[in-house]
Amino acid sequence: MTFYQREIHRIKDVCYSNTGQIQKVLKTRNYIENHFDQELNLDTLAYVGFTSKYHLLRLFKQYYGQTPIQFLIDKRIEKSKFYLKKGISISETCYLVGFESPSSFSTLFKKKTGSMPSNFQKKQFSQSRSIGDF
Amino acid sequence: MKVKVLSIPVLDQEKALTFYTEILGFVKKVDVPLSEDSRWLTVVSKEEQDGPEILLEPSPKHFEPAKTYQRSLFEAGIPYTQFNVENAQQEYDRLLDLGVAFSIKPTEMGTVKIAVFDDTCGNNIQIVEML
Repeated sequence: MTFYQREIHRIKDVCYSNTGQIQKVLKTRNYIENHFDQELNLDTLAYVGFTSKYHLLRLFKQYYGQTPIQFLIDKRIEKSKFYLKKGISISETCYLVGFESPSSFSTLFKKKTGSMPSNFQKKQFSQSRSIGDF
Repeated sequence: MKVKVLSIPVLDQEKALTFYTEILGFVKKVDVPLSEDSRWLTVVSKEEQDGPEILLEPSPKHFEPAKTYQRSLFEAGIPYTQFNVENAQQEYDRLLDLGVAFSIKPTEMGTVKIAVFDDTCGNNIQIVEML
């Protein structure tokens, strides 16, 4: 058995032995994956997971290293890139991924990706056009 | 600052290019000759071709400490780096069919499922599925 295989077993025993807690956070993550386009907050997630929001917050952070809301934002940004690449308008993309205001969506998108959605979309089109030119 | 290029040390660049493209499914992005036996050679994920590039770096060939470090990690079974996959079991089955050797079969670790394979270029590589 290699050093890494021993470490895997050790970490599994120390960090991942509480299957009840793991099932709870997996359920929450799964719910976010399937409902990111709807209005979601910690109260909803706690209600769905039959737990208190503070407990859920602590558990999710413990196992995923980020809060459920941070995870939700990342999911929405990832999905918005997908829609923008397909040529869907910025405001439509904003609502499709669950944000309520195009201006706050644009600000958040720039913070997370380094580009405004409009610039991101332009860049995608120019890239696909230059590939098509060859 | 942006993350644009990450490197993986490889013992043989040509062999690495074949493994990373034909077996793993990456796409060659940049290939610039630097000297008689070295190239600036990068590959990218097929699904994310504008994402970070992986530099297949011949450092173990030219720099002894890099070779020692790579060998030590390999012998300890420690992955040099990891790639995300949609389904670890499916990727394991696909790679196994192509003759890839795994030191760790798909294993659940809390919120992820991992597996570790030999890239035939001196490294263990871990694949990770977020559960």
